[in-house]
Amino acid sequence: MSDRRLSRRRALATGLSGVGLALAGCLAEEGDGNGGNGDGGNGETTGTTGGDDAPKIAVLEDRSGNFALNGTAKWQASLLAVEEINADGGVLGEEIEVYDPDPQSDNQRYVELTQEAIVDEEVDALWAGYSSATREAIRPTVNQHDQLYFYTTQYEGGVCDETTFAVGATARQQLGAVVPYLIEEYGPRIYTVAADYNFGQLSGDWVRILAEEHDAEVVDEEYIPLDVSDFGSTINNIQGEDPDFIMSMLVGESHTAFYEQRANTGLDIPIGSSTTMAQGYEHRRLDPPALTDMYVGVNYMEEITGERNEDFVDRFYEEWPDAEYLNQEAQNNYFSVYMWKEAVERAGTFDQEAVIEELEAGIEVEAPEGDIELDPATHHMTHHMRVGHADENHEVTFSEEQYIEPSFLHEVGCDLTEESEQTQYEPGEYYDEA
Amino acid sequence: MDPYQLLNLLFQFLDSFAVIVLAAVGLAIIFGMMGIINLAHGEFILVGAYATVLSYHRIGLPLVVAMLVGVAITTVYGVVLERLIVRHLYDRLLDSMVATWGISLIMIQGVRILWGNSLDGVGTPFGSVSYGPYSYSTYRLVLAGIAVGVLIGLYVLFARTDFGMRARATIQDKETARSMGVDTDRMYLSTFAIGSALAGLTGALYAPTRSVGPEFGQEYVVEAFVTVVVGGASVIVGTSMAGGLLALVKSGATNQWGQFIGLAAMLVTAIVAIRLMPDGITGLLEDWRRARRESE
Amino acid sequence: MSADSALETITARVRSPFEGPNTTGNSNAFWTAFVLAVVGLFLVPAVSPGHVSDLTLFMSYAFLALSLCFIWGYCGILSFGQVAFFGVAGYTFGIVGINVGAETGALLGVVAALFVATLFAAALGYFMFYGGVRDVYVTIMTLVVALVLNTFMGQTAGSEWAIGDARLGGFNGMVGAPNRAIGTGSVAIDMTGDGLYYVVLALLIATYLGLRALVNSRFGYAMVATREDEDRTAMFGYNTKFIKLAVFTFGGTLAGLSGVLFMFWSPGGYINPDVFGITAAAMPVIWASIGGRTSLLGTTTAAVALQYLDQRLAASGSEYALVVIGALLLFVILVMPAGVAPYAERAVDWIRDGVSAKLRGDPESENENAPSNSEVTK
Repeated sequence: MSDRRLSRRRALATGLSGVGLALAGCLAEEGDGNGGNGDGGNGETTGTTGGDDAPKIAVLEDRSGNFALNGTAKWQASLLAVEEINADGGVLGEEIEVYDPDPQSDNQRYVELTQEAIVDEEVDALWAGYSSATREAIRPTVNQHDQLYFYTTQYEGGVCDETTFAVGATARQQLGAVVPYLIEEYGPRIYTVAADYNFGQLSGDWVRILAEEHDAEVVDEEYIPLDVSDFGSTINNIQGEDPDFIMSMLVGESHTAFYEQRANTGLDIPIGSSTTMAQGYEHRRLDPPALTDMYVGVNYMEEITGERNEDFVDRFYEEWPDAEYLNQEAQNNYFSVYMWKEAVERAGTFDQEAVIEELEAGIEVEAPEGDIELDPATHHMTHHMRVGHADENHEVTFSEEQYIEPSFLHEVGCDLTEESEQTQYEPGEYYDEA
Repeated sequence: MDPYQLLNLLFQFLDSFAVIVLAAVGLAIIFGMMGIINLAHGEFILVGAYATVLSYHRIGLPLVVAMLVGVAITTVYGVVLERLIVRHLYDRLLDSMVATWGISLIMIQGVRILWGNSLDGVGTPFGSVSYGPYSYSTYRLVLAGIAVGVLIGLYVLFARTDFGMRARATIQDKETARSMGVDTDRMYLSTFAIGSALAGLTGALYAPTRSVGPEFGQEYVVEAFVTVVVGGASVIVGTSMAGGLLALVKSGATNQWGQFIGLAAMLVTAIVAIRLMPDGITGLLEDWRRARRESE
Repeated sequence: MSADSALETITARVRSPFEGPNTTGNSNAFWTAFVLAVVGLFLVPAVSPGHVSDLTLFMSYAFLALSLCFIWGYCGILSFGQVAFFGVAGYTFGIVGINVGAETGALLGVVAALFVATLFAAALGYFMFYGGVRDVYVTIMTLVVALVLNTFMGQTAGSEWAIGDARLGGFNGMVGAPNRAIGTGSVAIDMTGDGLYYVVLALLIATYLGLRALVNSRFGYAMVATREDEDRTAMFGYNTKFIKLAVFTFGGTLAGLSGVLFMFWSPGGYINPDVFGITAAAMPVIWASIGGRTSLLGTTTAAVALQYLDQRLAASGSEYALVVIGALLLFVILVMPAGVAPYAERAVDWIRDGVSAKLRGDPESENENAPSNSEVTK
């Protein structure tokens, strides 16, 4: 594997020197004295490079630090897409290059590297970040330069931003698949445990909203700081309430301990979630039966059936034989690279404004999860949402496939085709239950 | 509060106590006794956990044996590190901080490069005890017992054996100890090895209860340092009293007001405790003892 | 000949307030190099515009490094929580700036941020030093303070956590501090790009020179005496508690200044609780240790150099990046226990003595403060 990677690096390096030459020519022609920072960039303020430069995308995903578990596969899937596209003749006949540093799960580093990607590398599109905090850290930079940005993680939802495309499923889409299903299946009394930060708290709001909509109630909720990994008291509290099911929006490695401790304590109340299995492949890592009766709302998991996905999974592991899991976000990275390619080809140029215009004209992708389309008004995807269920042997089966729109942003009136915005809406402002 | 809930509180306390004491005890020796601010303490715990899980899954050893292997490998790791690096850092309290931070970075990323982003989990043994509508993990309660056992064992080792006396003498006054014929170099090495072994034990014991990845050790570091500092110079008295105090605050506050308040209350207690007892609980006890002796 | 000596008198007089036993680099050669380096830094935007943004950021961190060097290197207070003041200042700047808005908001934000950071440091310092908290206990206590802030700010995501118009924003952070310009009414200074670079650079030089003068003043001697032996210094009639409190408080101001400058750099005026995290907290300690904690210049340089190296390694995408950084730290501490600066100075002395035996011996450059191996272990 390392040999392969090496060869890619070398290819990249040769490509880079090519850009240098092209730019030098460019500068000599223009002669406006605007550039020459010696880093291969020509000092343009926005990344609206024309079609004559070698096209380049930035893939900033964590391969070390806290989020490497989720980020590594995102990076791998992006490179797979680029490799496939290049082998197939590139985009507009040109090979795509990739700028892929390792931000090491450090948000500050993300800001610096995003700047570098936009200003020095002049990338034509940017994929970056796993956590919401990362997205919010780099969004000001992205906005400053009107950079086309794809954020692919499933997240709390609500980002309405003219150059940002949040193509992962939102909390409303994921929870909207799993909460009603579990109310139907097990009953109306819900106990929420969630990570004590933005994502978890907003997800908790959504559970309450969805409970209300389906005549159920949240009997209690608990928010857990991210570095807590002992859940004795939480489990006792749940036992005291004896809910029909638990909704868990726990996040990160420390929180993963909850599932093992739940099983060990003999707490057999089913759990619904938007965060497990599809991202951190807990069903592969934890010793069964830790995840018995875990239900998760997802748009993708490696295990979903169908020839298209099986083919995708095969190609992924052929490219990355040592990969640990092909997670939901990796799939999102993969299809969004293709979606970008499609938009570029329709636009006939790499110019970002033109590409965004094409994306906003509506676009459909044949993703491994199924055929899905971009919602022009909100820059989110309509996803095939499924409820994945793990049994006592951690075998995953799926039910309830629904095609769910990103409806929340429509409700709040986000229409990026009409009005440019750079906001993040929250359910609290629109629902009493939140 | 019904009796079942009291039982909840008791078990939660024992659980917290076990975590805090086991997280701190290795550090209490390496930092408290030897003066190495070991920011790589978490990675000693990491070595114990990885050795345990890998020998359980890949070699197929029974869990208890795998845990012993975990302790043994961490001890060897500690010895090697002591010979190569740490022995240059004795009496250099603050330098040891940066050096061990470096070790920590290398270990976390090295483990990631070698074994990926996580290891397969090991299920927690023993099941649970049930009472009324509640239940608690038996294993976690066993850990509380082990924590107490470790403290007693250390007391015996350091207070009652010849080795313990020489070790303490060495660390208190190296020159004098040497002139009395103690092989001080070896004493440092063995004391460090004991600290490492205890950190390894913590990793081995908690590997079946948490998710094991390269950041596994990081979860223990803050609690460990806070406990050792609140405890003060004496390993056994300090660690057990500080562990008791912090576990009481943490489990009590968590039980009443949830995990965030529990965590915050523990940290704030530590701040106040350091302020009120600038030499830790041990220092306070010594003052009392001295005062009593003088008044007699 | 007489012109030469007159020039020498003048330079000696200009140099004298910045020189003394408490700083390294008390020679014409040093100051010549220093001036050249400053000129070089002033030329960066013209010569290499691609580095302006990164350098601005790293030089902003350098104030944090200086603050630790000042309190730890010169007064023996090892704070592991200087980032607390950095972060508190950053957040205060944001809160005030967002509520007031525009250039005036930035101006009031700076004032408020420095005030709050200073006050916070004074309160914490009083709490510690007048309570008899010493040595490594100070280290752990300051770290815990930073971690409490980290945990607390992380959970402030809800809309109830707002001060006026400023949402604290939890782990996702607070955004929108006005940081493009500073001033009031019709007078405003541009605080973006090259403008910010020059402001940060000028402040850094002024702070560096100011601190040199301070540590070589009578107060500076008292600081160093407190570091070396607090009890004895107290016996000589110095109020060591007050000295430590004053030093720690001023250190808090400097760390706060670092936080404010960071906010000016930060795109969109963004800050999040990572600034209080353990990794961020360790950074200043590492800079000071590697650079040489008794060297203001060494610490500053180390902050910039290590940040740059760290970033370049991350940018390389190599999985060995963190291993390399770790190994580097380990290597420097084992080989150069007092940090790079004293060794660099010794090397310069050695070269100078070797190159020109004629050169007059400069007794002051035999820095009595240059730590030997046994002395750095406090």
